[in-house]
Amino acid sequence: MSTTTPAPSVQGLEPEVRLGLYSSMVLVRTFEEAILREYHADKGPGFDIGKGLVPGEMHLAAGEEPVSAGVCAHLTANDAVTATHRPHHFAIAHGMALRPMAAEIFGRTSGLGRGRGGHMHLFDPDTHFSCSGIIAEGYPPALGMAFAFTRRGSDAIAVAVTGEGAANQGAFHESLNLAALWNLPVVFVVEDNDWGISVPRSASTSIPNNADRAAAYGIPGHRVEGNDVDDVHEVAGRAVARARAGEGPSLIEVHTVRMWGHFEGDAQGYRPDLAEVGDRDPIPAYEDRLRSAGVLDDEQIARIRADATERVEDAITFAKGSPEPDPAEAGMYVFAEEAQS
Amino acid sequence: MIQSDIHGETPHVGTQDDDLIQLLTVTGERVHHQTYSSRVAHLDTEALEGLYRDMVLVRRFDTEATALQRHGELGLWPQCLGQEAAQIGSGRALAAQDHVFPSYREHGVGWTRGLDLRKVLHQFRGEDHGGWDPAEHNFSLYTLVIGSHALHATGFAMGVQRDGDVGTGDPDRDRAVVAYFGDGATSQGDVNEALVFAAVNDAPVVFFCQNNHWAISEPTERQSRVPLFRRGSGFGVPAVRVDGNDVLACYAVTQEALERARSGGGPTFIEAVTYRMGAHTTSDDPTRYRSRAEEDYWRTRDPIDRLRLHLVAEGTAPEFFTALDAEADAYGEQIRDYCRSIPKAESSRMFEHVYAAEHTLVESERAWFTEYEAGFATEGAQR
Ligand SMILES: Cc1ncc(C[n+]2csc(CCOP(=O)(O)OP(=O)(O)O)c2C)c(N)n1
Ligand SMILES: [Mg+2]
Repeated sequence: MSTTTPAPSVQGLEPEVRLGLYSSMVLVRTFEEAILREYHADKGPGFDIGKGLVPGEMHLAAGEEPVSAGVCAHLTANDAVTATHRPHHFAIAHGMALRPMAAEIFGRTSGLGRGRGGHMHLFDPDTHFSCSGIIAEGYPPALGMAFAFTRRGSDAIAVAVTGEGAANQGAFHESLNLAALWNLPVVFVVEDNDWGISVPRSASTSIPNNADRAAAYGIPGHRVEGNDVDDVHEVAGRAVARARAGEGPSLIEVHTVRMWGHFEGDAQGYRPDLAEVGDRDPIPAYEDRLRSAGVLDDEQIARIRADATERVEDAITFAKGSPEPDPAEAGMYVFAEEAQS
Repeated sequence: MIQSDIHGETPHVGTQDDDLIQLLTVTGERVHHQTYSSRVAHLDTEALEGLYRDMVLVRRFDTEATALQRHGELGLWPQCLGQEAAQIGSGRALAAQDHVFPSYREHGVGWTRGLDLRKVLHQFRGEDHGGWDPAEHNFSLYTLVIGSHALHATGFAMGVQRDGDVGTGDPDRDRAVVAYFGDGATSQGDVNEALVFAAVNDAPVVFFCQNNHWAISEPTERQSRVPLFRRGSGFGVPAVRVDGNDVLACYAVTQEALERARSGGGPTFIEAVTYRMGAHTTSDDPTRYRSRAEEDYWRTRDPIDRLRLHLVAEGTAPEFFTALDAEADAYGEQIRDYCRSIPKAESSRMFEHVYAAEHTLVESERAWFTEYEAGFATEGAQR
């Protein structure tokens, strides 16, 4: 069903835009590396997932920064994003404040959800951001938000993110179908990182290109090969503009890379491409491209990185210095009335 | 590199009748089809008269059941009126060892499986949870949860695969599974997940969608922006669109799909375009949401009429039709008598089989219900 169209030219992309994309990717990676460090700091000799400053599962997004940077560059805080169990890159690229975000990940009272959600449940009304540990469950709420935006006469849109494994969930299909029928301003994003935990794409998905799924519901579909942030930016620009203009939803699948484990502690013994994964890091490649295009020099790179480190470490320090919730209050906020008392 | 889907940029909207496979026209003429005509070439006059008889008797059954509901003998009845060709054509293509997962109006398919249709009445009279043994005819119980059985069918088909009953080449051994569902069911996540699993596993399952144009009061164009059979492409599943009121075409496309499944070629999606000539169920009044003109149009495309025209033109004697009418009348009488004689079952039977072992909550609910029912009995006795 799908045909290849020549990649549109990205020569015209403004230097400031490319600097923005680069900075977003660097900030995300810096954040993920800091979480990696803090997460593993005190997990004990045999990696006890329940131990340490951040107990529980941790899904980090290193390698997938081009997707969040390329898509979110077209959004404002008025637009909604519903992300996945691997949400940090989209949260940061969409402009979430780092301090309450880090505090939520550390389970502290100063966190977005007062420490009750953890890293898979970052809810931020300021940026219309939400995410869920249940895969593909961000798709239907994105339709609801998009529907609300149109009813209010706003030109805001919703972006819904899943992985390629989750694109096989019923909720994914119900959402594509309904968004197509109701012509809702939604951009569906599929991050194809080849793996659903340890299940290769070939064992979960019968077609090579999820853009074909879009066609099966009557909406445009695009697939970006190569994890290239300029390409993602270009395609997302088209999809976002289409949604804002009231022309309806689109689907974008990006073939990206999960550089680390499904979650931290995943030894990835199932993965034949482990040795080469580092070579697919999108950030050094983009840095080189911008350097040779004269957009970036060493001094700017150092400044962007230092700035990212400063912001991230400030957020981590804030999180670690914030109080933990009182166990006696564990039952609070389940129902609205209790929240008052 | 960016790949964009051009079909998506210019979506297919509405029906595309040229894609519809047809072997028998509305006026009863045979049409040649390069791929499918050969699949019905062996059907002689007797076989065609047999298909006609199937459709007439199933319609009689359905009509009687509808009337029984109106007489208060059944709680509810989902009619198959108008869908006889889709059900008989596809059902007659099945082999004995194939397994069917129906939804709730597949009375015609049940008939082709050798099921005594009168057993279907038990459930709709409220006296049984099912009414028949699925293993006896390889015909599962009706499913009222829309689309959920597409998953059951796919799981069953994966079991067939693991039993090694696919691709052996032995026509008595290789099995296929068919899930029957409606146009509305395609909007359910369950159906889509079933397609995903079937495609990835090459499961021997046929997805037979009867697009009868309505999901209760919701028309098909509000269920999908593309013709339903095009959904197959999103899963890498071959799909065909067939005239669902043409019993021969339904037979041919189903036979092809079953062969693909049994030989290890994986799933097929069939969209049979038909029309629900009756109400959704006896609780529904379609005059509130669809036009008389639409109903009249489809009445001219009645699946039984077109085969009758064909048989008459080919020389079937009037006595055949007279005898069949008499047979149908006798069958109708049997259905009515049988329905009224279905024994009353204890209402508290609904508490059975909830858990394998006794469960305190279920037992307390059973005790409450028994007392509640006994209350009615006492009141009645006093009057
Ligand atoms: C999961 C679920 N949702 C809703 C219903 C209520 N319901 C019963 S029949 C029906 C419409 C089904 O339409 P379609 O799939 O086209 O089948 P048809 O009745 O036309 O044969 C609905 C929504 C249900 N039974 N199950
Ligand atoms: Mg229907």
